[in-house]
Amino acid sequence: MTAPCRDFEVPLSLRAARALDPAEAERLEAHLAGCAACREEAAIADELVRLARLPPPSEEERVALAHLPARTLGALQRREARRGAGKRLLVGAAVAAAAALAVLAPAILRQAPRPVPPAQGTVAAAWQEPDLDALWDDATLLVETAADQGGTGTEAALAALDAGMGD
Amino acid sequence: MAPGRQMAEDRESRRPALRVVPGGASETRREEEALLAAFLVGDDEAFGALVHRHEGLVLAIVRRYAPTPEDARDLAQRAFLRAFEAARRALRRGPRSAVPFRRWLVRIAVNLAKNHRRDEARFIRAPLEELGEREGRPPAAPEALEAAEREARVRRAVLRLPRRQREVLTLRVDAELSFGEIADALGVTENSARVSFHHALRRLRALVLEEESP
Repeated sequence: MTAPCRDFEVPLSLRAARALDPAEAERLEAHLAGCAACREEAAIADELVRLARLPPPSEEERVALAHLPARTLGALQRREARRGAGKRLLVGAAVAAAAALAVLAPAILRQAPRPVPPAQGTVAAAWQEPDLDALWDDATLLVETAADQGGTGTEAALAALDAGMGD
Repeated sequence: MAPGRQMAEDRESRRPALRVVPGGASETRREEEALLAAFLVGDDEAFGALVHRHEGLVLAIVRRYAPTPEDARDLAQRAFLRAFEAARRALRRGPRSAVPFRRWLVRIAVNLAKNHRRDEARFIRAPLEELGEREGRPPAAPEALEAAEREARVRRAVLRLPRRQREVLTLRVDAELSFGEIADALGVTENSARVSFHHALRRLRALVLEEESP
């Protein structure tokens, strides 16, 4: 078998697809009249396209598709209905949320703002090791103050007792 | 009259007529837009008319990839639903973004068929009409059996083509779209679609020979 002419390879395929414009078709047919290799190639391309093409729809396929418009319309209407229901549900939820907010808002607003406890991390970060000397000094002052106060009281009590015994 | 001019006129008269009907394509498009608009305001008959107008085209695109007629019907239905949704959105955005319904439909059907082929491992099938008819008919002559086997080999080989080549080939031979429409549907140039068709035929021939050789 001889190879077809290079310039006509694509047109031969397009001829098999019946997709040549009239001028191209005319030029190719004129060439085919004198070129056996291209004629053979054209016959093979025609045969391949014929075999590749699906046959017309069978009776079974026609039956399956008989009610396609009605089925498609039904499917579309069901989808729209579902969307409508979804939208209604969303709107209902939004209305309910708004009503609940309107009822609860005054009560919420009346509540005093609670002190916010510092976060644990903040406390930990703010903690510093105490100065032990300062703590000791503070404790001494407390002891001395207590002794002073206690001493004065004891002396007063003893004086009062002495005075009573003396009576 | 000059001989050259006479010859040219004779040639013109012999040439198959390829006439552009005034307003043909745009008239069809206007009709489809009117049907779509009518459906969007609640005219169910307009919807039926649109589906009826294009069901053959959609079936031609999807049936090669659908193992049963019911699968083909479901794919066609999904293609219509998505195309309506896409066309409706485009119409809402304004007339500038409107795309002809047929173009939506072809592109969506091609994508659905492609995805179906990818998702289903059962796409290779003998033509259903032949399977159905074989049950009740007498045994065929050896030549007829051989021809049927050859057809089956070629159709199997079509499904083994690279994706772009397969799409171009099937949109041309099954759906009989013009190469302009094929280019639109696949997002390629018209020339690229033509060349892909040529490569598809060459590859198909090689695949068939490969399968026929022992």
